[in-house]
Amino acid sequence: MTKRSLDARQMEHPEPLEKAIAILRELDEGSYLYMLHRKEPLPLLALAREHRLNHLSRCDATGVWHILITPNVSADLAQLLETESVPA
Amino acid sequence: MFQNSGLSLDQAPPISVVLRFFLAGSLWGIAAGTWLLLQGPSALNPAAPQGLILTHLLTLGVMLSFMLGALFQMLPVLAGIALKDPVTLAIRSQWPILFGTILLLSAFGSGSSTLYLLAVLLLGVGLLPVAWRMLRRLYLLRNHSASSRGMGFALYNLLLLVLLGFWMVALLGGWTFRGDLLALRQVHLGLGLLGWIALLIIAVSFQVIEMFYVTPPYPKPYARWLPSLVTGLLTLELVAALNLPALQPWFESLAAFLVGIHALLTLRRLSQRQRPLADATVWFWRVGMGALAAAMLLWIVGDFTTLSIAWSETLYTLYAAFALSVVFAMAYKIVPFLTWFHLNAQGYFNAPMMHEVIHPRYAMRHLSIHLTTLFTALFAAWTTPELWHLTGALLLFSFAWIALAIYRAWHRYLEVQTSGEKFEFPSMK
Repeated sequence: MTKRSLDARQMEHPEPLEKAIAILRELDEGSYLYMLHRKEPLPLLALAREHRLNHLSRCDATGVWHILITPNVSADLAQLLETESVPA
Repeated sequence: MFQNSGLSLDQAPPISVVLRFFLAGSLWGIAAGTWLLLQGPSALNPAAPQGLILTHLLTLGVMLSFMLGALFQMLPVLAGIALKDPVTLAIRSQWPILFGTILLLSAFGSGSSTLYLLAVLLLGVGLLPVAWRMLRRLYLLRNHSASSRGMGFALYNLLLLVLLGFWMVALLGGWTFRGDLLALRQVHLGLGLLGWIALLIIAVSFQVIEMFYVTPPYPKPYARWLPSLVTGLLTLELVAALNLPALQPWFESLAAFLVGIHALLTLRRLSQRQRPLADATVWFWRVGMGALAAAMLLWIVGDFTTLSIAWSETLYTLYAAFALSVVFAMAYKIVPFLTWFHLNAQGYFNAPMMHEVIHPRYAMRHLSIHLTTLFTALFAAWTTPELWHLTGALLLFSFAWIALAIYRAWHRYLEVQTSGEKFEFPSMK
């Protein structure tokens, strides 16, 4: 699957949400959004849930949130996440 | 390696819930400015009816409206609490509070016992159920953040504040003679200004300063314990007011000291931002926290000595500058964001960008108006009391400025909803 990355860790609110929504609008079945954030982006996740997008959010041991969203229902987001290495 | 969040993803309330409170708060601000414009320096005497009216226009009118609106918005986001049927709850609290406040202001002016009684009834009907419902949901919350815990303590103080207000009204109305009105008044001030307004802002700041401005977080033990310490001290102040009046200023001063520390720490956090440029909201926060630190210093001095009229008016001005600065900072962040986000979530192609809802330059101009109002007020306190009339005119202008921004955002939202074209988010296949 094609990854659309968004590292929002140093972005001020609401830039992460603005950029994430712009990417969401362009996703297809073969692509997914992979976002890094210092907080869990609740409005983005609520929006993904409302539009029935396949989504996953996890916090790692360093406090960084990993958010994956795709329209592809068969995508195993947990497995995709496990393959990620977090950039410093 | 990874853990689940455990946080609720419940959605924020409809935009109308938040904007109706913000707009009402702005209209109360216009009323406060008009009152100060008409009354001048006599509106600054806290013991006179004119002073009581101005204080309650700003606290019950402006601050309560903005803070209830912010609570409706922030509870789902910061605490994962979605209130059931928020529109009905908002309407059922807003209208009784509106009429209750009008009646209370009339009662201050006339001294009528009947008006006091009606005001208490309406304020009770408007405030107690909503505050209780929010507090109960927070109490039942399993995983607390520093913000949700702080919000709970602020709401507890609000309930105590309202009940104490009812007691004072009973004294003023002649239904009871139990309790020293002056001592209770001081506790009422402490609970309202430190325990409710300042503490709710502190609770929200634990999250939003870091989230909005990419600063280092507040120290965890500090954020965990500060709200309970302030609340504990204010509760002890109430006990002291009834039993050991000599201890009352000590408890209150300690609470003011902690609030002042938070102001200084927030200024420090804002100086640690990684972005060199600051928009109007950053400056509103800086002005607000600077004013709060200075106000708390004066508050502590005033607890042990009698402040001159000029210093009392300076304290009043600095505290108002703090509260209004933060209200404006939050409004300029929340209103464009909600307008943009709700329209995007509904899938409108022509949803305006945030800077098109309220342009950053518009907020910057408001900052100039706000600072002019602040300096005119300080000048009035120390040199020319007649300048309080001008301060009133500037305050009126300041609130008209933000009322217009909120109204335009609401109008734009409805306009896009009526005529906008929708896009489809990709859906699951």
